[in-house]
Amino acid sequence: MTGNRLRAEGLVLTYEDRTVVDGLDLEIPDGQVTVIIGPNACGKSTLLRALGRLLKPRRGSVLLDGTELARIPTKRVAQEIGLLPQTPVPPEGITVSELVTRGRQPHHKWWQQWTEADEKAVTEAMDRTETGDLAERPVDELSGGQRQRAWIAMALAQDTDLLLLDEPTTYLDIAHQVEVLDLVRQLNRERGRTVVVVLHDLNQAARYADHLIAMKAGRIVAQGAPGDVITGDLVQEVFGLASVVVPDPVTGGPLVVPGAPGSTDRSARIGRHG
Amino acid sequence: MTRPVGFAVLRVGRASFLLHRRAALVAVLLGAALALAAVAYLCVGESFVGPAEVVRVLWGQPSPDAFVVGTLRMPRLAVGLLAGAAFGLAGSFVQTVARNPLASPDVIGVTQGAGAATVAAMTFGVAAYDTLPYISIVGGLAAAALVYVFAWRRGLHASRFVLIGIGISVALGSLTQLFLTKGDFLVAQQAKVWLTGSLNGRGYDHAAPLASILLVLTPALLWAARAQRSVSFDDDTATALGVRLGRVRLGLIVLGVVLASVATAAAGPVDFVALLAPQIARRLSRTAQIPLLGSALTGALIVTVADLLARKLFSPIELPVGVFTAVVGAPYLMWLIVRTRSRSGGPA
Repeated sequence: MTGNRLRAEGLVLTYEDRTVVDGLDLEIPDGQVTVIIGPNACGKSTLLRALGRLLKPRRGSVLLDGTELARIPTKRVAQEIGLLPQTPVPPEGITVSELVTRGRQPHHKWWQQWTEADEKAVTEAMDRTETGDLAERPVDELSGGQRQRAWIAMALAQDTDLLLLDEPTTYLDIAHQVEVLDLVRQLNRERGRTVVVVLHDLNQAARYADHLIAMKAGRIVAQGAPGDVITGDLVQEVFGLASVVVPDPVTGGPLVVPGAPGSTDRSARIGRHG
Repeated sequence: MTRPVGFAVLRVGRASFLLHRRAALVAVLLGAALALAAVAYLCVGESFVGPAEVVRVLWGQPSPDAFVVGTLRMPRLAVGLLAGAAFGLAGSFVQTVARNPLASPDVIGVTQGAGAATVAAMTFGVAAYDTLPYISIVGGLAAAALVYVFAWRRGLHASRFVLIGIGISVALGSLTQLFLTKGDFLVAQQAKVWLTGSLNGRGYDHAAPLASILLVLTPALLWAARAQRSVSFDDDTATALGVRLGRVRLGLIVLGVVLASVATAAAGPVDFVALLAPQIARRLSRTAQIPLLGSALTGALIVTVADLLARKLFSPIELPVGVFTAVVGAPYLMWLIVRTRSRSGGPA
């Protein structure tokens, strides 16, 4: 397997003196939706930041097309890899329209600030995310779902082959969560973009991933197709949660139902994990 | 949608530029206001000169008022305009990098550093007069470096940065007082007036270094206008968009410190201009970041009008211009602090 664009080799990631990821090898399959799951503080967001060169590896490297990410000019990286942090902070008072336009920044030269390509990418990004109606609204005043759509529109306008999203559904209600994830999958299916998403929700991960990576304590426990990866044993190993995995009535994929088989005593279960 | 809302697209051949419509309009209006204020400045003084006569002098036509307008008032106006613009730009850079409207060079100790260095050089007579602007720059940079060293704890937290800056500026103020008491009495008197920020007795020899440094820095200012936009996001988002944050921040800070120091050398530490001008310009322009041209024009306008009032209001006594900028600036600073505290402390 050397054909994939984004890889990591012997990756060691630390925050100050704390090692979060220790010696991790990874390959992100091109043209697929990869979802990274794992319990809190397992290093999944840290890994995503490293893949998007926001965090410099202590040892090892992230490779884009075989070249170490740290050796590629950051503007050049921004033309290939888009990344949306978990809680991005917009410039105060910026409108949705201008925010989406900022996504074009890596493609700009100082004397070319608005080309046909810019116009096309911005219009398309706003169409796809249905943010056209919000164009004149300040981002600060939007609802959570609208705001997230605006941010995704900005990342789309960046027009990168690789798109990394850090828990894009965190602050959304269930309907908006599904909406955002549907959008992510649609982008992948229609444009063949490679998408890497960090998600909290196991069942959403199972549903939207082509390739699933399960992490625990800074290492990869299992990876592959969701149907192969998600088992009761894995959920027990990674999350320490007893569960039953049944076929999802909608998709036929794996669906994780927490709880020991046959147990109906909720308080006992909650007590054990509280 | 053919272009971002609120922007005009300027095309010249293959080049294209995005122009924030409201910011452009505000800049034109500020420019007009500044022109009016400048003419008024030249009219008013111990003797009144009519606007028509002022314009004649400006066009270089012979006039009986050529001496009063051209020789007495013009140089002082030039220092005010340039220093005001430089303070406005400096404030814009520092506030942008710190992401905090409180973090202006006159609050975080940069102008005080420039002041202390200059007063030391003046009172101890160690430097020739025309090297004072450069000594001022060294002082400003040293103060900024000091703030940076103390405020850096695995990252630069905005409020720690401001608090330490205020501490450093107070310490530098005391140091300046010490220099004043140790130095020669007459020089100390001169230095004291300079320290309140006064345009009294300022001339072309003060304006010239300021003008030449602004001219030399023009390419850097064009770069900064774009850079300011790119650092207006949080760190991760900005980096993801391809911004080399470390370099851009350092570049903006150094530019801000140099401008504030040079302006201080020319006009004295005129308080609050760097604090006020960027925020006023931004509120007028309603841009997502501080507009550079607007900041420079607002800074120049504030100093011009303040010095006009300082010269005329209590004539024949001429007050230092810094007294007037402080009258407006101090309440604003207090309001900012109260607002920041209630925002971070209490419920939103």
